[in-house]
Amino acid sequence: MSGVASFRWLQSLRLGPDLVTPGVQNEAELARMEEALFGPINLAGADVIEVGAWNGAFSLAAKRRGAARVLATDHLAWTLPGSDAKAATEFAAQASGLAIETRVMDPRGFGKYFGQFHVVVATEFFTQLFNPIAALKGLRAITSRLLLIETIQDGMEESRPVMMAHNLPTAYGATVAGWAPNPEAVKHMLQELGFDRIFHRDHPTAGRGRGLYAALLRDTPDEALTGFVAPWRSLTHPG
Amino acid sequence: MDLPKTPLSNSALLNRIKQFYWFHSIPLRPGITTYGAKTEEILAQEEQAIMSGIDFQGRTVLDVGAWNGYFSFSAKRHGAARVLATDSFTWTEPKFRGQEAFELARAELGLDIESLLIDPTKITPELGSFDIVMFLGVLYHLFDPIDVLQRVRAVTGQLLLVETHQDLADRTQPGMVFYPGAILNNDPTNWWGPNPALMLHLLQALGFARILYRHYPHPPGTPLNRGIYACLTPEADPAIIAGLGPEWRELDAPGVIPTLAAEVRR
Repeated sequence: MSGVASFRWLQSLRLGPDLVTPGVQNEAELARMEEALFGPINLAGADVIEVGAWNGAFSLAAKRRGAARVLATDHLAWTLPGSDAKAATEFAAQASGLAIETRVMDPRGFGKYFGQFHVVVATEFFTQLFNPIAALKGLRAITSRLLLIETIQDGMEESRPVMMAHNLPTAYGATVAGWAPNPEAVKHMLQELGFDRIFHRDHPTAGRGRGLYAALLRDTPDEALTGFVAPWRSLTHPG
Repeated sequence: MDLPKTPLSNSALLNRIKQFYWFHSIPLRPGITTYGAKTEEILAQEEQAIMSGIDFQGRTVLDVGAWNGYFSFSAKRHGAARVLATDSFTWTEPKFRGQEAFELARAELGLDIESLLIDPTKITPELGSFDIVMFLGVLYHLFDPIDVLQRVRAVTGQLLLVETHQDLADRTQPGMVFYPGAILNNDPTNWWGPNPALMLHLLQALGFARILYRHYPHPPGTPLNRGIYACLTPEADPAIIAGLGPEWRELDAPGVIPTLAAEVRR
Protein backbone atom coordinates (compact mmCIF):
# COMPACT_ATOMS: atom_id res chain seq x y z
CA MET A 1 0.00 0.00 0.00
CA SER A 2 1.64 3.20 -1.16
CA GLY A 3 0.26 5.24 1.77
CA VAL A 4 2.58 3.49 4.20
CA ALA A 5 5.62 5.16 2.69
CA SER A 6 4.20 8.61 3.26
CA PHE A 7 4.59 8.34 7.03
CA ARG A 8 7.53 7.98 9.42
CA TRP A 9 6.73 4.94 11.56
CA LEU A 10 7.62 4.44 15.19
CA GLN A 11 6.06 0.99 15.38
CA SER A 12 6.05 -1.90 12.90
CA LEU A 13 2.36 -2.67 12.39
CA ARG A 14 1.09 -5.52 10.24
CA LEU A 15 -1.53 -4.01 7.97
CA GLY A 16 -1.86 -6.99 5.65
CA PRO A 17 -0.33 -10.41 4.85
CA ASP A 18 2.63 -8.81 3.09
CA LEU A 19 2.51 -5.32 4.49
CA VAL A 20 4.27 -4.21 7.67
CA THR A 21 5.01 -0.57 8.46
CA PRO A 22 8.77 0.07 8.75
CA GLY A 23 8.84 1.13 12.40
CA VAL A 24 11.68 1.69 14.84
CA GLN A 25 10.12 -0.94 17.10
CA ASN A 26 10.02 -4.25 15.21
CA GLU A 27 6.99 -6.48 14.84
CA ALA A 28 8.34 -9.38 16.89
CA GLU A 29 9.19 -7.16 19.90
CA LEU A 30 5.76 -5.55 19.77
CA ALA A 31 4.08 -8.96 19.59
CA ARG A 32 5.90 -10.09 22.72
CA MET A 33 4.96 -6.88 24.49
CA GLU A 34 1.35 -7.26 23.43
CA GLU A 35 1.21 -10.78 24.81
CA ALA A 36 2.93 -9.72 28.03
CA LEU A 37 0.45 -6.89 28.55
CA PHE A 38 -2.79 -8.39 27.32
CA GLY A 39 -2.18 -12.14 27.68
CA PRO A 40 -3.34 -12.25 31.33
CA ILE A 41 -6.63 -10.42 30.76
CA ASN A 42 -9.87 -10.75 28.83
CA LEU A 43 -10.52 -7.63 26.81
CA ALA A 44 -13.80 -8.79 25.29
CA GLY A 45 -16.32 -5.98 25.60
CA ALA A 46 -13.96 -3.74 27.57
CA ASP A 47 -13.51 0.00 27.20
CA VAL A 48 -9.79 0.60 26.69
CA ILE A 49 -7.70 3.74 26.52
CA GLU A 50 -4.07 3.80 25.48
CA VAL A 51 -1.96 6.66 26.85
CA GLY A 52 1.15 7.35 24.81
CA ALA A 53 -0.03 5.35 21.83
CA TRP A 54 2.72 6.30 19.33
CA ASN A 55 1.33 4.51 16.23
CA GLY A 56 -1.34 2.69 18.22
CA ALA A 57 0.10 -0.84 18.23
CA PHE A 58 -1.55 -1.73 21.53
CA SER A 59 -4.77 0.10 20.73
CA LEU A 60 -5.12 -1.90 17.54
CA ALA A 61 -4.22 -5.06 19.44
CA ALA A 62 -6.87 -4.33 22.09
CA LYS A 63 -9.48 -3.92 19.36
CA ARG A 64 -8.40 -7.18 17.73
CA ARG A 65 -8.75 -8.86 21.12
CA GLY A 66 -12.38 -7.84 21.37
CA ALA A 67 -12.44 -4.50 23.18
CA ALA A 68 -15.74 -2.70 22.67
CA ARG A 69 -14.24 0.77 22.57
CA VAL A 70 -10.61 1.79 22.15
CA LEU A 71 -9.34 5.34 22.45
CA ALA A 72 -5.72 5.92 21.42
CA THR A 73 -4.17 9.05 22.89
CA ASP A 74 -0.74 10.63 22.83
CA HIS A 75 0.73 14.01 23.54
CA LEU A 76 4.42 14.48 22.92
CA ALA A 77 4.81 12.08 19.98
CA TRP A 78 1.71 13.50 18.31
CA THR A 79 2.41 17.19 18.84
CA LEU A 80 6.12 17.67 18.24
CA PRO A 81 6.69 19.98 15.27
CA GLY A 82 6.54 17.95 12.05
CA SER A 83 5.17 14.85 13.75
CA ASP A 84 2.88 12.74 11.60
CA ALA A 85 2.49 9.97 14.19
CA LYS A 86 -1.20 10.65 14.83
CA ALA A 87 -2.02 10.65 11.11
CA ALA A 88 0.00 7.45 10.73
CA THR A 89 -2.00 5.86 13.57
CA GLU A 90 -5.27 6.80 11.93
CA PHE A 91 -3.99 5.48 8.59
CA ALA A 92 -3.05 2.17 10.24
CA ALA A 93 -6.45 1.87 11.90
CA GLN A 94 -8.24 2.47 8.62
CA ALA A 95 -6.00 0.09 6.70
CA SER A 96 -6.52 -2.58 9.36
CA GLY A 97 -10.26 -2.10 9.40
CA LEU A 98 -10.15 -1.62 13.17
CA ALA A 99 -12.38 1.14 14.50
CA ILE A 100 -10.40 2.99 17.14
CA GLU A 101 -10.75 6.59 18.23
CA THR A 102 -7.78 8.98 18.46
CA ARG A 103 -7.27 12.09 20.54
CA VAL A 104 -4.31 14.29 21.50
CA MET A 105 -4.27 14.22 25.28
CA ASP A 106 -1.69 15.05 27.97
CA PRO A 107 -2.12 12.49 30.78
CA ARG A 108 -1.73 15.27 33.33
CA GLY A 109 -5.01 16.63 32.05
CA PHE A 110 -7.10 13.55 32.70
CA GLY A 111 -9.84 13.91 35.28
CA LYS A 112 -13.00 12.03 36.07
CA TYR A 113 -14.89 14.37 33.73
CA PHE A 114 -13.07 12.56 30.92
CA GLY A 115 -14.88 9.33 31.70
CA GLN A 116 -13.51 6.04 32.92
CA PHE A 117 -12.18 3.00 31.12
CA HIS A 118 -12.06 -0.61 32.26
CA VAL A 119 -8.47 -0.88 31.09
CA VAL A 120 -5.89 1.90 30.85
CA VAL A 121 -2.64 1.10 29.02
CA ALA A 122 0.40 3.38 29.27
CA THR A 123 3.70 2.31 27.74
CA GLU A 124 6.99 4.23 27.98
CA PHE A 125 5.20 5.92 30.84
CA PHE A 126 7.70 7.42 33.28
CA THR A 127 10.33 7.66 30.58
CA GLN A 128 9.10 10.82 28.93
CA LEU A 129 7.33 12.72 31.69
CA PHE A 130 8.76 15.65 33.62
CA ASN A 131 6.04 15.12 36.22
CA PRO A 132 4.99 11.47 36.31
CA ILE A 133 3.20 11.92 39.65
CA ALA A 134 0.65 14.28 38.11
CA ALA A 135 0.30 11.91 35.17
CA LEU A 136 -0.24 8.92 37.49
CA LYS A 137 -3.03 10.86 39.20
CA GLY A 138 -4.53 11.41 35.77
CA LEU A 139 -4.36 7.71 34.94
CA ARG A 140 -5.99 6.83 38.26
CA ALA A 141 -8.84 9.24 37.56
CA ILE A 142 -9.80 7.46 34.34
CA THR A 143 -9.29 3.85 35.49
CA SER A 144 -12.32 1.86 36.58
CA ARG A 145 -10.60 -1.54 36.91
CA LEU A 146 -7.10 -2.14 35.58
CA LEU A 147 -4.10 0.04 34.85
CA LEU A 148 -1.25 -1.42 32.78
CA ILE A 149 2.07 0.46 32.80
CA GLU A 150 5.31 -0.21 30.97
CA THR A 151 8.36 1.82 31.90
CA ILE A 152 12.10 2.01 32.13
CA GLN A 153 13.34 1.05 35.61
CA ASP A 154 16.27 2.16 37.75
CA GLY A 155 17.34 2.09 41.36
CA MET A 156 16.92 -1.68 41.33
CA GLU A 157 19.72 -2.07 43.87
CA GLU A 158 17.71 -0.02 46.39
CA SER A 159 15.29 -1.80 48.71
CA ARG A 160 13.54 1.50 49.34
CA PRO A 161 11.13 3.11 46.84
CA VAL A 162 13.20 5.39 44.60
CA MET A 163 12.73 7.20 41.34
CA MET A 164 15.75 8.32 39.33
CA ALA A 165 15.71 11.16 36.80
CA HIS A 166 17.03 10.85 33.27
CA ASN A 167 17.47 12.85 30.11
CA LEU A 168 16.83 10.35 27.36
CA PRO A 169 16.74 10.51 23.58
CA THR A 170 13.45 9.36 22.09
CA ALA A 171 12.69 7.39 18.95
CA TYR A 172 11.29 10.52 17.32
CA GLY A 173 14.47 12.52 17.72
CA ALA A 174 13.85 14.68 20.80
CA THR A 175 15.63 14.39 24.12
CA VAL A 176 13.19 14.58 27.00
CA ALA A 177 13.49 14.67 30.78
CA GLY A 178 11.89 11.65 32.34
CA TRP A 179 12.06 9.23 35.22
CA ALA A 180 12.90 5.63 35.97
CA PRO A 181 11.34 4.25 39.18
CA ASN A 182 12.04 0.96 40.88
CA PRO A 183 9.19 -1.50 41.53
CA GLU A 184 8.86 -0.44 45.18
CA ALA A 185 8.29 3.17 44.14
CA VAL A 186 5.66 2.24 41.56
CA LYS A 187 3.94 -0.04 44.05
CA HIS A 188 3.72 2.55 46.79
CA MET A 189 2.68 5.41 44.53
CA LEU A 190 -0.08 3.28 43.02
CA GLN A 191 -1.21 2.16 46.47
CA GLU A 192 -1.39 5.77 47.65
CA LEU A 193 -3.57 6.48 44.62
CA GLY A 194 -6.00 3.74 45.64
CA PHE A 195 -4.91 0.67 43.70
CA ASP A 196 -5.29 -2.51 45.72
CA ARG A 197 -3.48 -5.34 43.95
CA ILE A 198 -0.32 -4.59 42.00
CA PHE A 199 1.60 -7.09 39.87
CA HIS A 200 5.03 -6.67 38.29
CA ARG A 201 7.12 -8.48 35.73
CA ASP A 202 10.27 -7.73 33.83
CA HIS A 203 9.96 -6.56 30.26
CA PRO A 204 9.63 -9.50 27.84
CA THR A 205 12.53 -8.39 25.65
CA ALA A 206 14.46 -5.72 27.59
CA GLY A 207 14.76 -7.65 30.85
CA ARG A 208 15.22 -5.87 34.17
CA GLY A 209 15.95 -2.53 32.57
CA ARG A 210 12.25 -2.13 31.94
CA GLY A 211 9.19 -3.37 33.78
CA LEU A 212 5.48 -4.00 33.38
CA TYR A 213 2.94 -3.25 36.09
CA ALA A 214 -0.69 -4.26 36.40
CA ALA A 215 -2.65 -2.38 39.07
CA LEU A 216 -6.19 -3.34 39.94
CA LEU A 217 -8.76 -1.40 41.88
CA ARG A 218 -10.42 -2.97 44.89
CA ASP A 219 -13.76 -3.71 43.24
CA THR A 220 -12.21 -5.54 40.29
CA PRO A 221 -13.67 -9.08 40.09
CA ASP A 222 -11.33 -11.81 41.35
CA GLU A 223 -11.45 -13.63 38.01
CA ALA A 224 -9.53 -10.70 36.51
CA LEU A 225 -6.56 -11.72 38.66
CA THR A 226 -6.22 -15.29 37.52
CA GLY A 227 -4.11 -14.53 34.45
CA PHE A 228 -1.36 -12.82 36.39
CA VAL A 229 0.86 -15.86 36.81
CA ALA A 230 4.66 -16.13 36.52
CA PRO A 231 6.61 -14.23 35.34
CA TRP A 232 4.14 -11.80 36.89
CA ARG A 233 4.51 -11.53 40.65
CA SER A 234 2.32 -9.73 43.14
CA LEU A 235 4.02 -6.76 44.80
CA THR A 236 1.17 -6.26 47.24
CA HIS A 237 0.09 -9.81 48.08
CA PRO A 238 3.23 -11.95 47.77
CA GLY A 239 2.70 -15.69 48.15
CA MET B 1 -10.60 35.42 64.72
CA ASP B 2 -10.87 38.90 66.23
CA LEU B 3 -7.87 39.91 68.26
CA PRO B 4 -8.17 41.95 71.43
CA LYS B 5 -7.91 45.67 70.77
CA THR B 6 -6.00 46.52 73.94
CA PRO B 7 -2.57 45.10 74.74
CA LEU B 8 -2.65 41.86 76.65
CA SER B 9 -1.08 41.71 80.08
CA ASN B 10 1.94 39.44 80.29
CA SER B 11 -0.09 36.78 82.06
CA ALA B 12 -2.91 37.03 79.52
CA LEU B 13 -0.38 36.75 76.68
CA LEU B 14 1.16 33.68 78.28
CA ASN B 15 -2.28 32.14 78.60
CA ARG B 16 -2.99 32.84 74.92
CA ILE B 17 0.36 31.36 73.92
CA LYS B 18 -0.46 28.20 75.84
CA GLN B 19 -3.63 27.72 73.82
CA PHE B 20 -1.65 26.79 70.72
CA TYR B 21 0.90 24.25 69.56
CA TRP B 22 3.98 26.23 68.50
CA PHE B 23 6.55 25.06 65.98
CA HIS B 24 8.60 28.25 66.10
CA SER B 25 10.05 29.72 69.29
CA ILE B 26 9.42 33.41 68.75
CA PRO B 27 10.38 36.03 71.33
CA LEU B 28 7.31 38.26 71.67
CA ARG B 29 8.27 40.37 74.67
CA PRO B 30 11.23 40.46 77.00
CA GLY B 31 11.02 37.20 78.90
CA ILE B 32 8.12 35.85 76.85
CA THR B 33 8.88 33.44 74.00
CA THR B 34 6.49 31.01 72.33
CA TYR B 35 7.08 27.37 73.26
CA GLY B 36 8.18 26.16 69.85
CA ALA B 37 9.28 22.65 68.97
CA LYS B 38 12.18 24.37 67.24
CA THR B 39 14.28 26.22 69.77
CA GLU B 40 15.36 29.84 69.42
CA GLU B 41 18.93 28.61 68.98
CA ILE B 42 18.08 26.29 66.09
CA LEU B 43 15.92 28.92 64.43
CA ALA B 44 18.68 31.50 64.74
CA GLN B 45 21.10 29.07 63.06
CA GLU B 46 18.58 28.38 60.28
CA GLU B 47 17.90 32.09 59.84
CA GLN B 48 21.61 32.76 59.57
CA ALA B 49 22.10 29.94 57.07
CA ILE B 50 19.11 30.74 54.89
CA MET B 51 18.81 34.51 55.01
CA SER B 52 22.24 35.91 55.77
CA GLY B 53 23.75 37.40 52.65
CA ILE B 54 20.41 37.81 50.90
CA ASP B 55 19.42 41.39 50.16
CA PHE B 56 15.82 41.69 51.39
CA GLN B 57 15.88 45.51 51.40
CA GLY B 58 12.81 46.83 49.61
CA ARG B 59 11.96 43.42 48.13
CA THR B 60 8.61 41.69 47.94
CA VAL B 61 8.63 38.33 49.71
CA LEU B 62 6.33 35.31 49.63
CA ASP B 63 6.65 32.76 52.44
CA VAL B 64 5.15 29.41 51.37
CA GLY B 65 4.45 27.32 54.45
CA ALA B 66 4.93 30.07 57.00
CA TRP B 67 3.47 28.12 59.98
CA ASN B 68 4.02 30.42 63.00
CA GLY B 69 5.70 33.03 60.80
CA TYR B 70 9.27 33.09 62.09
CA PHE B 71 10.82 33.53 58.64
CA SER B 72 8.13 35.96 57.46
CA PHE B 73 8.87 38.12 60.48
CA SER B 74 12.57 37.79 59.82
CA ALA B 75 12.17 38.88 56.17
CA LYS B 76 10.34 41.99 57.30
CA ARG B 77 13.03 42.75 59.86
CA HIS B 78 15.62 42.31 57.10
CA GLY B 79 13.98 45.20 55.27
CA ALA B 80 11.45 43.58 52.94
CA ALA B 81 8.93 46.08 51.62
CA ARG B 82 6.11 43.58 51.46
CA VAL B 83 5.80 40.12 53.01
CA LEU B 84 2.97 37.69 52.29
CA ALA B 85 2.84 34.75 54.70
CA THR B 86 0.91 31.74 53.42
CA ASP B 87 0.08 28.32 54.75
CA SER B 88 -2.74 25.82 54.73
CA PHE B 89 -2.09 22.50 56.48
CA THR B 90 -0.58 23.85 59.71
CA TRP B 91 -2.97 26.80 59.72
CA THR B 92 -6.07 24.65 59.50
CA GLU B 93 -5.04 21.45 61.29
CA PRO B 94 -6.97 21.52 64.60
CA LYS B 95 -3.96 20.12 66.48
CA PHE B 96 -1.79 23.05 65.40
CA ARG B 97 -4.20 26.02 64.98
CA GLY B 98 -1.26 27.61 63.20
CA GLN B 99 -3.09 30.56 61.70
CA GLU B 100 -4.34 31.74 65.08
CA ALA B 101 -0.85 31.31 66.51
CA PHE B 102 0.63 33.24 63.58
CA GLU B 103 -1.88 36.03 64.02
CA LEU B 104 -1.16 36.27 67.74
CA ALA B 105 2.57 36.58 67.05
CA ARG B 106 2.07 39.06 64.22
CA ALA B 107 -0.18 41.27 66.34
CA GLU B 108 2.18 41.12 69.28
CA LEU B 109 5.23 41.96 67.14
CA GLY B 110 3.35 44.72 65.33
CA LEU B 111 4.85 43.80 61.98
CA ASP B 112 3.10 44.82 58.77
CA ILE B 113 2.78 41.39 57.19
CA GLU B 114 0.01 40.12 54.99
CA SER B 115 -1.36 36.62 55.30
CA LEU B 116 -3.26 34.32 52.99
CA LEU B 117 -4.66 30.88 53.65
CA ILE B 118 -3.65 28.97 50.53
CA ASP B 119 -2.32 25.49 49.97
CA PRO B 120 0.90 25.38 47.91
CA THR B 121 -0.82 23.01 45.48
CA LYS B 122 -3.21 25.87 44.66
CA ILE B 123 -0.64 28.60 44.01
CA THR B 124 -0.98 30.13 40.55
CA PRO B 125 0.50 33.21 38.85
CA GLU B 126 -2.64 35.09 39.91
CA LEU B 127 -1.01 35.31 43.34
CA GLY B 128 1.47 37.75 41.78
CA SER B 129 5.23 37.75 41.29
CA PHE B 130 7.53 38.15 44.28
CA ASP B 131 11.21 39.14 44.28
CA ILE B 132 11.96 36.45 46.85
CA VAL B 133 9.99 33.27 47.49
CA MET B 134 10.81 31.27 50.62
CA PHE B 135 9.90 27.60 50.33
CA LEU B 136 11.29 26.28 53.58
CA GLY B 137 10.60 22.85 55.00
CA VAL B 138 7.73 22.20 52.60
CA LEU B 139 8.98 20.33 49.51
CA TYR B 140 9.29 16.92 51.13
CA HIS B 141 5.80 17.17 52.62
CA LEU B 142 4.24 17.13 49.16
CA PHE B 143 2.97 14.01 47.39
CA ASP B 144 3.66 15.84 44.13
CA PRO B 145 6.66 18.10 44.81
CA ILE B 146 7.32 18.58 41.09
CA ASP B 147 3.96 20.23 40.56
CA VAL B 148 4.48 22.62 43.46
CA LEU B 149 8.03 23.46 42.38
CA GLN B 150 6.53 24.49 39.05
CA ARG B 151 3.97 26.59 40.89
CA VAL B 152 6.46 28.41 43.11
CA ARG B 153 8.68 28.97 40.06
CA ALA B 154 5.75 30.72 38.40
CA VAL B 155 5.53 33.28 41.21
CA THR B 156 9.29 33.79 41.67
CA GLY B 157 10.54 37.05 40.22
CA GLN B 158 14.19 36.80 41.24
CA LEU B 159 15.13 34.37 43.96
CA LEU B 160 13.66 31.12 45.23
CA LEU B 161 14.98 29.88 48.56
CA VAL B 162 14.36 26.18 49.15
CA GLU B 163 15.15 24.33 52.36
CA THR B 164 14.39 20.62 52.37
CA HIS B 165 15.00 17.20 53.77
CA GLN B 166 17.05 15.20 51.30
CA ASP B 167 18.10 11.63 50.69
CA LEU B 168 20.38 9.70 48.31
CA ALA B 169 22.68 12.68 48.74
CA ASP B 170 25.66 10.34 48.63
CA ARG B 171 24.85 9.66 44.97
CA THR B 172 25.62 11.77 41.93
CA GLN B 173 22.74 10.38 39.87
CA PRO B 174 19.60 12.51 40.28
CA GLY B 175 16.89 10.75 42.21
CA MET B 176 14.51 10.82 45.12
CA VAL B 177 13.21 8.42 47.74
CA PHE B 178 9.49 7.91 48.36
CA TYR B 179 8.31 7.56 51.95
CA PRO B 180 4.97 5.74 52.12
CA GLY B 181 2.98 5.83 55.32
CA ALA B 182 4.93 7.29 58.22
CA ILE B 183 8.31 5.77 57.33
CA LEU B 184 10.22 9.04 57.60
CA ASN B 185 10.33 10.29 61.19
CA ASN B 186 7.00 8.62 61.96
CA ASP B 187 5.32 11.49 60.10
CA PRO B 188 2.69 10.57 57.49
CA THR B 189 3.05 14.01 55.89
CA ASN B 190 6.58 13.24 54.67
CA TRP B 191 6.59 11.99 51.07
CA TRP B 192 9.85 12.50 49.17
CA GLY B 193 13.57 12.96 49.78
CA PRO B 194 15.38 14.36 46.70
CA ASN B 195 19.15 14.56 46.35
CA PRO B 196 21.10 17.68 45.28
CA ALA B 197 21.70 16.26 41.80
CA LEU B 198 17.95 15.95 41.33
CA MET B 199 17.25 19.41 42.69
CA LEU B 200 19.75 20.79 40.17
CA HIS B 201 18.06 18.82 37.37
CA LEU B 202 14.56 20.01 38.33
CA LEU B 203 15.45 23.61 39.07
CA GLN B 204 17.36 23.99 35.80
CA ALA B 205 14.46 22.45 33.91
CA LEU B 206 12.19 25.02 35.53
CA GLY B 207 14.28 27.82 34.12
CA PHE B 208 16.44 28.94 37.00
CA ALA B 209 19.69 30.37 35.65
CA ARG B 210 21.88 29.88 38.73
CA ILE B 211 21.44 27.42 41.57
CA LEU B 212 23.56 27.76 44.67
CA TYR B 213 23.62 25.20 47.44
CA ARG B 214 24.78 25.00 51.00
CA HIS B 215 24.36 22.34 53.62
CA TYR B 216 21.83 22.93 56.36
CA PRO B 217 23.64 23.95 59.57
CA HIS B 218 23.71 20.43 60.94
CA PRO B 219 25.24 19.96 64.37
CA PRO B 220 28.65 18.26 64.07
CA GLY B 221 28.41 14.51 63.76
CA THR B 222 24.81 14.42 62.56
CA PRO B 223 23.76 13.19 59.08
CA LEU B 224 23.78 15.75 56.28
CA ASN B 225 20.12 15.11 55.46
CA ARG B 226 18.95 18.63 54.73
CA GLY B 227 20.03 21.21 52.17
CA ILE B 228 19.41 24.83 51.25
CA TYR B 229 19.12 26.12 47.68
CA ALA B 230 19.22 29.69 46.38
CA CYS B 231 17.83 29.71 42.85
CA LEU B 232 18.07 32.78 40.64
CA THR B 233 15.80 33.50 37.71
CA PRO B 234 17.42 34.82 34.51
CA GLU B 235 15.99 38.27 35.38
CA ALA B 236 17.42 38.37 38.92
CA ASP B 237 19.40 41.34 40.18
CA PRO B 238 22.81 39.79 41.02
CA ALA B 239 22.99 42.06 44.07
CA ILE B 240 20.24 40.05 45.69
CA ILE B 241 22.75 37.32 46.60
CA ALA B 242 25.93 39.40 46.62
CA GLY B 243 26.39 38.80 50.33
CA LEU B 244 26.37 35.01 50.26
CA GLY B 245 29.39 33.45 51.92
CA PRO B 246 31.80 30.78 50.67
CA GLU B 247 29.67 27.98 52.13
CA TRP B 248 27.36 28.50 49.17
CA ARG B 249 28.44 26.62 46.03
CA GLU B 250 27.32 26.91 42.43
CA LEU B 251 25.62 23.55 42.07
CA ASP B 252 26.32 23.11 38.34
CA ALA B 253 30.03 23.93 38.63
CA PRO B 254 32.28 21.01 37.60
CA GLY B 255 32.89 18.62 40.46
CA VAL B 256 30.43 20.14 42.94
CA ILE B 257 27.84 17.33 42.89
CA PRO B 258 30.52 14.61 43.33
CA THR B 259 32.10 16.67 46.12
CA LEU B 260 28.79 17.00 47.94
CA ALA B 261 28.16 13.28 47.56
CA ALA B 262 31.58 12.54 49.01
CA GLU B 263 30.94 14.89 51.94
CA VAL B 264 27.69 13.07 52.71
CA ARG B 265 29.40 9.68 52.49
CA ARG B 266 31.95 10.85 55.03
